[in-house]
Amino acid sequence: MDRRIKSPQIPTVNDLRVKLCYICREEEHYDAPPEDPPRAWTHPCTCTLVAHEGCLLRWIQTSQGDTARAPNALKCPQCGTRYELVSHRPKILRLLGAGNGVLQRVGRLITLCGAAGVVAVFASGIYVVLTAYGAWAIKQFLGEEMFDVLLTDNPANWPWTTFINLPSIPLSLILSRFQTPALIPSLVPILLVWPPAPPIKYRLGSTSALTDLRLQYGAADTINSKLWTWPPTPAIFGFVVVPIVRVVYRRLWTRLQVWALGAQPPSARVAAARMGGGGVNAAWEGWPVVIRIRANIIGEDGRGQGQAQVQGQEQQRQQEGEEGQEQPAPAGAEVPEQEQALAAAEQHISISASSLGRRLGGALLIPYISSRMGWLLLSLSRHSHILRRILAVRPPLSVQGTMRWPYGISPGEWEDLGPLRQVQKALGLVWRASWRGTRTWAEADPVWWRNAIGLGLFVVAKDCVELLHLWLATRELESRHVKNRDFAGVDIRELDLVPGFSPRGQSPAQMQARAQSLPRGL
Amino acid sequence: MASISVRRLSKELTEIKSEGCPVGITLVKADDFSTWWFTIEVMGESLYQGEKYTLQFRFDSSYPISSPAVQFVVTDGHTSPIHPHVYSNGHICASILGNEWSPVLSVVAVCVTLQSMLASCKKKERPADNDRYVRSAPENPKKTRFHYDGKALSPIPHQYWI
Repeated sequence: MDRRIKSPQIPTVNDLRVKLCYICREEEHYDAPPEDPPRAWTHPCTCTLVAHEGCLLRWIQTSQGDTARAPNALKCPQCGTRYELVSHRPKILRLLGAGNGVLQRVGRLITLCGAAGVVAVFASGIYVVLTAYGAWAIKQFLGEEMFDVLLTDNPANWPWTTFINLPSIPLSLILSRFQTPALIPSLVPILLVWPPAPPIKYRLGSTSALTDLRLQYGAADTINSKLWTWPPTPAIFGFVVVPIVRVVYRRLWTRLQVWALGAQPPSARVAAARMGGGGVNAAWEGWPVVIRIRANIIGEDGRGQGQAQVQGQEQQRQQEGEEGQEQPAPAGAEVPEQEQALAAAEQHISISASSLGRRLGGALLIPYISSRMGWLLLSLSRHSHILRRILAVRPPLSVQGTMRWPYGISPGEWEDLGPLRQVQKALGLVWRASWRGTRTWAEADPVWWRNAIGLGLFVVAKDCVELLHLWLATRELESRHVKNRDFAGVDIRELDLVPGFSPRGQSPAQMQARAQSLPRGL
Repeated sequence: MASISVRRLSKELTEIKSEGCPVGITLVKADDFSTWWFTIEVMGESLYQGEKYTLQFRFDSSYPISSPAVQFVVTDGHTSPIHPHVYSNGHICASILGNEWSPVLSVVAVCVTLQSMLASCKKKERPADNDRYVRSAPENPKKTRFHYDGKALSPIPHQYWI
């Protein structure tokens, strides 16, 4: 009543004749006796909605507890006005609320950091393993001496590029095994990255980048300037010799296969088709060379299709205990008998060969195998002068005593050059070094060379063994027939025998007698 | 003293019985204060002309603070309308049944809103994720957190607000 006196023009909720709570829909008439206990009314917005204060507070509280509804909790559903809450909020409560909010954000950050940390630990673990493998592969392939010259066992000495190069070695080895044809021959990265690298010893001693460059690459200037040397420089070997050898080898190998087996194995034809009909077999980068793709070998000419079906049948045949070689395959009727046998034989061998572990292990063992093959060649070369020449075996650097300061130009000469000439010279040196390697590389015992040759020989040997296996398996399938048995153990009277048959030890009379004593009707 | 939900629902029921439902909406069953059934049909020209659907309302004891659980009945020969916001199990993706529910709305207001939702439909089709949703949907549509794209419903007609 007091309010009405204070502001006579503007009515309030208490001046309404009928109050209707928009939440519980209870009404209160101004002249009706007040409820017991009386409930407060409120008009919180700019429209005509009114409500019990208790109902509205309950609605607000419930809505605020629901994240989806919270944004609308304080909004009038009709006019959209924001409700204003007045409450006793001492400073300490606000402070605690703010503190809680901060802690919540910090907590979220910690959760995020924790998750990132776990991922990082996991990734760095993998990275360390890959790097360690890369270092091991370098040691195996380039030999221990070059490893000590270029890297050493102490990672603190390694240049930063090493930490990219080393982990990429196992990855490229594995990748090369899962592509037909492999895009990156597995060993080329090793051959291209390391020869130009400067020896650790000099790299550590150098002070400025320019001196560094001069020290590293000056060497190329003083060693022989012939492009073709023996053994070939790693870069020439990787870029020129390896691709040529691969192509020639594949051609020859295809011919050998056709000659020995009468046809190319289906998988080799698939590989060839995938390479654009080049008629080559993915051969160089790994030894179990033939990578089988059975799922999608549908050829354009329908021949591949027949082949796929033959293979499918063979698989089934294997499961069913290998019967029915004599049955002509209805779907593969256009495929010659011989090729069917070949497909079957290859299938037989490759079922066990295509496991993931075998491929991975095979890829990762390449450095070790080349190292062992290189060692074998070295041992053999003790007895053969020619082999020694081919392998270009040199005494280790320590024995040579020629681990020389690889200056190309004397310091004085360098200073005399103008800045432009210095840059030109430096670029020339870098270019030459990347083709020929540093002096250290040129003078060291070329372990990499005999290892590469060894790996090549291993690949050939492996291919030969595989071909032999395939040939023998094909022969076995072609020569297969079911073993004939006589009727030993079968009652002779149950057999409808030709009239002239006379079993040994029994006269025809005896037989007749026995036959008469038995009931007829067989 | 009866709970708020019962008192409010009995008021709504009295109103429906005395004033009748809007055109196209019929009360089928309101035997208690926990489940009510209505039929709705779209009047005038629309894709759903001549079709009649049954709506089920379920109330808990904190209605109207908490929204009613509303869905089309799909048992006993009833079907749900084919609409981009109605799943084949009868669940409805409508913001006023979820985060935009307000106690100012009533049962009749919800019916009218859904009626206008059908009336404004341009193409009869199920929601894109219908199969996936129906396979794993909870029995009570209120337990689903729908994502409202904001254009789900036309505004609530004012005359049905109190």
